[in-house]
Amino acid sequence: MFEKLVEIICNYVEVEPENIHPESRFVEDLGFTSFDFMSMLGEIEDEWDIEVDQEKVVNIRTVQEAVDYLQTLAD
Amino acid sequence: MLCSTIRDILTGTEAKYGAEDAVRYKVKKNEIASKTYSELKRDSESFSAALKELGEQGNHIAVIGRTSYEWLVSYFGIVDGGSVAVPLDASLPAADLCELLDRADVTVLVFDEVRSDAAEMAESRCPKLKYRISMQAEEDAGTILSFRRLLEKYKGEFNYTPKPDQLCTIMFTSGTTGKSKGVMLTQRNLAENATCLDMKIPERTVILSVLPIHHAYCLSMDILKGISLGSVICINDSLMRVVKNIKLFKPEMILMVPLMIETIAKKLQESALIPAAIVKSQVFGKQFHTICSGGAYLDPSYIDLFRKYGITILQGYGMTECSPVISTTVSWNIRKDSVGQLIPNCEAKTVDGELWVRGSSVMQGYYKMPEETAETLEDGWLKTGDLGYADEEGFVYLTGRKKNLIITKNGENVSPEELENQLSLNRLVGEVLVREAEGVIEAEIYPDQDYIKKKHVKDVEAALQKVIDDYNQGAPLYKRIYRLKIRDTEFEKTTSRKIKRF
Repeated sequence: MFEKLVEIICNYVEVEPENIHPESRFVEDLGFTSFDFMSMLGEIEDEWDIEVDQEKVVNIRTVQEAVDYLQTLAD
Repeated sequence: MLCSTIRDILTGTEAKYGAEDAVRYKVKKNEIASKTYSELKRDSESFSAALKELGEQGNHIAVIGRTSYEWLVSYFGIVDGGSVAVPLDASLPAADLCELLDRADVTVLVFDEVRSDAAEMAESRCPKLKYRISMQAEEDAGTILSFRRLLEKYKGEFNYTPKPDQLCTIMFTSGTTGKSKGVMLTQRNLAENATCLDMKIPERTVILSVLPIHHAYCLSMDILKGISLGSVICINDSLMRVVKNIKLFKPEMILMVPLMIETIAKKLQESALIPAAIVKSQVFGKQFHTICSGGAYLDPSYIDLFRKYGITILQGYGMTECSPVISTTVSWNIRKDSVGQLIPNCEAKTVDGELWVRGSSVMQGYYKMPEETAETLEDGWLKTGDLGYADEEGFVYLTGRKKNLIITKNGENVSPEELENQLSLNRLVGEVLVREAEGVIEAEIYPDQDYIKKKHVKDVEAALQKVIDDYNQGAPLYKRIYRLKIRDTEFEKTTSRKIKRF
């Protein structure tokens, strides 16, 4: 799950995959804008065939938090 | 055609396109439902009748929610029936919403169930509030009324002719003192802003509405202008799904803020090796042709980039206090370095470097804030707070800002003072300055040295980061602080002991 997410993250920001860690913060460390983040979740919805709850994702800050949330949807 | 009331806009289009789709929205993943112009007019008139029967006609009625058919019916029902709409930001914390409801003297609240928490809190905190109406509830439940039931009960025509200079909407905008201000707009302010310029947008254009509806830019350009052109307004259900919804609704035009344009530009550039026409047709569809950009500064290089894909970006400029459009670019006369030409109901002059504007879209003032109103309006002129000028052809050029307001790339205005006041509440924070840095909001803090010693704080950075994290937890996304800078000396002060900002 983490590796799959890293791959998608690299489509949105210019960061090398090896520099993306579970504790990396989307905005502060990876340079995401809020709209980049929302668009990425939309892409994940399509590719993984899941439905993301917009109200729940606003408090996601780190890659690990995103993995944890997406894991609950995939289960 | 120039309309001076919002009711004229809706009735004019309904007479022409009554049986045609006015609004399209998703009901399931890939299923679209629609409502015609006749349905929109009939339902909003039923809501006007309901408000009259409740004894609330002419009062202040708040609407909280995401863009929806119910939101639109509420808004038109309120303003066309002679009441005053107070659209509120659905992303604000419940306590902030209650403060605004109370300050705007709201007597009826129409709410989307996603904010039932705010409606619940309002019952005890807002003594002036008499009715709460749920947009989704099937039946009345206790003191909460069902919007659907009200429309059924009071179904029918409602004849009322609003006057052009009648107050119809109060919209809240960031105030520099940290308290948001209620901008008072009349029927004429909003209706003439939306209809005074013929932008040569074809009638029945399909528009995808992606911006928050409580913003003047969305309300005026997507909704009022859209309806005046008999457009089909498609509702985007989430910012996560803009690209997906473009494929579903096949719009020809979208109103955006620069932040969105930048993200989409990155996606387009990723496919630089594929022919532009193919990329355009995959991302936007063949039918798509125009993006209107507003709310914040857009780097002109994006205009060239999108042109390669056959998409015209029309940049505009405005502020809620001017209903909101002041100037806009038209497709046949684009000047990249200008934010467009003044619209016909607006004139401009420059006073001490600041752009002042006057015309039929300038607000009546801030609700119950005479001092702030006097600071902003002078002899009918609105002081924009922006440094700039209009040339002899009316093209507006902006060079900077006079006020401290932070304008983020998604068009939200954030008052640094408001955030500073909140952070200062923590004893660890001695002095604080909030500003924009590289596209995000940054707080620079000088910690309170006495407090650190007294409480034996060892890791000051971690403690301050916790202060920021706690603040962010309760703040809407656009007000969050993403950078912390710690100082080891006090800030430089002015003679009046205020921190020097620049």
